[in-house]
Amino acid sequence: MNRPRAEHEPGYVLHTYPYRETSLIVEAFTRRHGRTALIAKGARRPRSALRGVLLSFQPLRLSWSGGGEMRILVGADWQGAASLLRGAGLMCGFYLNELLLRLLPREDAHEALYDDYCEGLSRLAQGSLPTSTVLRMFERRLLAGLGYALQFDRDAADGAPIRPEGSYLYEPERGPVAANGAGGEMVVSGRTLLDMQADDYRRPETQAESRALMRALIGLRLHGQTLHTRAVLLELQEM
Amino acid sequence: MAAKDTVPSATGLERLVEALRVLPGVGPRSAQRMAYHLLQRDRGGAGQLAQALASALAGVHHCTRCNNFTEEEVCALCRSPRRDPSLLCVVETPADLAMVEQTLSYSGMYFVLLGRLSPLDGVGPRDIGLDRLLARAADGQVEEVILATNFTNEGEATAHYIAEMLRARGIRASRIARGVPLGGELEYVDAGTLSQALIERRAL
Repeated sequence: MNRPRAEHEPGYVLHTYPYRETSLIVEAFTRRHGRTALIAKGARRPRSALRGVLLSFQPLRLSWSGGGEMRILVGADWQGAASLLRGAGLMCGFYLNELLLRLLPREDAHEALYDDYCEGLSRLAQGSLPTSTVLRMFERRLLAGLGYALQFDRDAADGAPIRPEGSYLYEPERGPVAANGAGGEMVVSGRTLLDMQADDYRRPETQAESRALMRALIGLRLHGQTLHTRAVLLELQEM
Repeated sequence: MAAKDTVPSATGLERLVEALRVLPGVGPRSAQRMAYHLLQRDRGGAGQLAQALASALAGVHHCTRCNNFTEEEVCALCRSPRRDPSLLCVVETPADLAMVEQTLSYSGMYFVLLGRLSPLDGVGPRDIGLDRLLARAADGQVEEVILATNFTNEGEATAHYIAEMLRARGIRASRIARGVPLGGELEYVDAGTLSQALIERRAL
């Protein structure tokens, strides 16, 4: 009996890799099973019905069979409705996917994070918020989903409310403490911390400081690996 | 060394089988069949294959203007006086170029990227020669660059960034259209394609 193990699970393709002659390995992010790797047999054949379906950034319903490390994709249906990413939004989408691929362990359900991802993609597609805001919000939720919730509204040393005019050093394992003259990308103003707490990224200083802070915090979780998307984007900006 | 006596080094036959496996779609069994066929039934053909392979490897390289395969410095298509030098079509692979040529509806020039931007695989603009493309497009004759990269996310991103860079240099860029295939019946078109066709509909 070859009963599918999962049927019509909502999910997205994060990335695909060629496998054997005509198949693909699909790195998927599903709502109920988290990140999972699926083998899509024959998906690279010229007339495969999966060709236009197994693309990133579009909501799918995925069915697969088999347990263990590698599962066999038995069905993928396009769920439509969401508009596709285009232009610079695509690069932001690749960045979100790379964060998930690098940081999210396999087979760990993250339903809230999945919903944040859907929301992030649709905001990128519609352009309803500036892209930097969408990225910062997702980065923060991703770290929280991984168990590194960030605290922005209280001084970690004494529990006092953050003062907007103060200068703080963000200690990764604790939270913000008075900077006392320290420097670097982990040092941000109290105003920026309060803006980040409120997901308000309108101030240019908040944008710049939050970007540097989040990059440093994510860098810690990447253990020194660099993100391809960031490197490619830098290279594009230099041209 | 006793082990060396019991494990003989690879024979010519084994090396041939192993070498044939570099071809796409050729596994160990087909490679073995091919090797036996070449050595047993068609030694003349095998000689021709070996020669053709050696001369192609030595003589075929990329055209300095369009990147397509050629044996000359600049390929025949790039040198042809009958091609329109004001149009430059950007494709991902030589196979894509051949496909566009088959349409018989394009008479401009080409640039082959030999890839696409693929940020998740670490493939960036220099890996696909975007600096060379920009230099090629700025030759003073090109008036329009037609972006015919694939309609995957990577192909779309590639087209987007090329278009931005061309715009910054005052060169017109266009993207090939997409939608329902010729002779396509809506009933059998996939939902994603139909959805894009509706979004990108045009007035009649």
